[in-house]
Amino acid sequence: MTPFRRLGLGARISVAFALGGLVLSAFLAFATLGLTREVLLRQRENAARDLALNNAQLVQSQLTEETDPSELINILGALQTSSSRPLLQFQEVWQGDGSGGFTQESVPAGLLARVTSGGAGVLRTQLDDELAIVFGVRLPEDNAAYFEAASLEETESNLRTLQVILFGAAVATTVLAALLGRWATSRMLQPLSDVSDAAEAIAGGRLDTRLDQQVDPELASLTSSFNDMVGALELRIERDARFASEVSHELRSPLMTLAASMEVLENNRDHMPVRAATAVDLMSTDISRFQTLVQDLLEISRFDAGSAALQLEPLAVGEFVRQATAMTDTTAIVELRPGTEETVINADKRRLAQVMSNLIENARKYGGGATRIEVSATNEVVRIAVDDAGPGVPLDERAVIFDRFSRGSAGGRRGADTGVGLGLALVDEHVRLHEGQVWVTDRPDGKDGARFIVELPIETPLDATGEGAT
Amino acid sequence: MAFVETRILMVEDDDGIRTSVKLGLEDEGWEVVEADNGEDALGLFSQAPTDVVLIDIMLPGIDGFEVCRSVRRTSDVPIIMITARADTHDVVAGLEAGADDYLTKPIAPKELSARIRALLRRARTTDATSSHLTFGDLEIIADEGVVRKAGEEVHLTKTEFRLLVELAATPGRVYSREVLLERVWEYGYFGDGRLVDVHIRRLRTKIESDAANPQHVVTVRGLGYKLQT
Repeated sequence: MTPFRRLGLGARISVAFALGGLVLSAFLAFATLGLTREVLLRQRENAARDLALNNAQLVQSQLTEETDPSELINILGALQTSSSRPLLQFQEVWQGDGSGGFTQESVPAGLLARVTSGGAGVLRTQLDDELAIVFGVRLPEDNAAYFEAASLEETESNLRTLQVILFGAAVATTVLAALLGRWATSRMLQPLSDVSDAAEAIAGGRLDTRLDQQVDPELASLTSSFNDMVGALELRIERDARFASEVSHELRSPLMTLAASMEVLENNRDHMPVRAATAVDLMSTDISRFQTLVQDLLEISRFDAGSAALQLEPLAVGEFVRQATAMTDTTAIVELRPGTEETVINADKRRLAQVMSNLIENARKYGGGATRIEVSATNEVVRIAVDDAGPGVPLDERAVIFDRFSRGSAGGRRGADTGVGLGLALVDEHVRLHEGQVWVTDRPDGKDGARFIVELPIETPLDATGEGAT
Repeated sequence: MAFVETRILMVEDDDGIRTSVKLGLEDEGWEVVEADNGEDALGLFSQAPTDVVLIDIMLPGIDGFEVCRSVRRTSDVPIIMITARADTHDVVAGLEAGADDYLTKPIAPKELSARIRALLRRARTTDATSSHLTFGDLEIIADEGVVRKAGEEVHLTKTEFRLLVELAATPGRVYSREVLLERVWEYGYFGDGRLVDVHIRRLRTKIESDAANPQHVVTVRGLGYKLQT
């Protein structure tokens, strides 16, 4: 790929516009300058030649065979030479008008030769570092030659000014062309950028994102096919989400019958033969697992279907963590860092209770049990950390451990006691619904074990009764 | 011994659930009468005295809310609603229709049994609280289970009555939702605060002159409720 190709489409089009502008304006500038230069110089030359011819006739009329060379200066002094300098050759004497600068040496050799041989000529040449036009004519009767040099400096200066103006115009045209290119591409790429924004929004979970309908027929087909695609995608995703939800829902009723019947069987366990009792125990364990799985699936499918709603109430975090920990059979120590005793957040008690119980349960299954639960807070967030005494979570598993059905290396064995891998995924969903986050690190005290940290935002607490002001 | 069995009326359209829960409840010592739709349930309810009613909200025909309202019109019997999920408006709607408590599926007979016991226990313990209290136009005769407003008897359900008596035990004291949940419903910290809120609301419509501007049972913002002296 060439470096040019590596630029974006917009940048490439801008560069192309700029180059086009540059080439066009440079061509126009050069052409204008060349033509103007010729015309101006020609005009100046004509004017100078006419003047010089006039002067030559005047000189001729005053020259006679007897004219003394010392009088030449007077003759020249009477000429109209405001913008030119005369030079007269008379009988081997060269005489200027006394201002100097234009002397015999200054006359170009070619012109001198032509004039000496009886002709007349005009020549452009450098004179005292400036461009000048030199005119020469033979005055045959008097054995004399008249030369006149006119400065072209003024014309040159005008041309230089024009050059600067044209250069400036070329630069401005180039910049304008680049800007035009940019504007045109941004207009042209706007629909693409809209599509990109929409795709990003959709990837971010906002499935109801659609593109605005375009008037332009070419763009209209893009937007309508994009919208159709998103619509189909949304339908598909919703159907999948609903499917999981419906399956779990359908499973729940027979499972409830199974569980209730199991209770009846367990009530009569003592009257059963040992083999039947063992079978009842096995079934009982698996029905419980099955029920947990279905419950978790149902819970998580509500997140997918977007029907998970927070039931917020003000919650004193310290008291909540103590109560939630007491609900489980963990021996973990609950430690409230100074200042957290009064910390109140708006939270869904049921969901946070599940977060706590899932984290403690996770520690029990894979981390040798929770050892310490710490609550700390800043002005913006409150953190609940659950430490365990297990092997910790390897770095490469720390992100995926919250994925559904991911059990990490620690969860590889499948026993009656292992979960189905939805516990931490639910923790993640619940916490994110609270606009918080959860992650896992090493234990800060350097001992083996993982630390799961739940971070929740602190906002102004609602009325404790959840009612309006009555 | 003149032991009268506690009679539970269960309305549930799923045969498996109804039969298995009935078996489980019978193992816990209750007498269970079943109905698989609202009409039959109301018929059974009017025929024989019932101590507790269990209603599944999702019923064909007359839905659970309507059954609940119909029962409530004639009786203050404890009602437990069975809902599919806890985070919907169903719960509040059920409580507003007159249910005393609710449980979310799946329910286990033992858990259900514990709830029934709690409801029946508090319905009976009101007898033990004996005092005659007066708050402005409100009169509570706890041992008779009677509440009068401006001399006229107000009909409260057992739960509403128990809630009022609890608040009246220490007038002016602020009771948090957690405390009321524990004292009246025997729930722990994780009980649903909406139970308290909806019952307070229902209580207010009965004992306050203007429920929107209560003079007796007032909200203490951020803390809970109290009975104004």
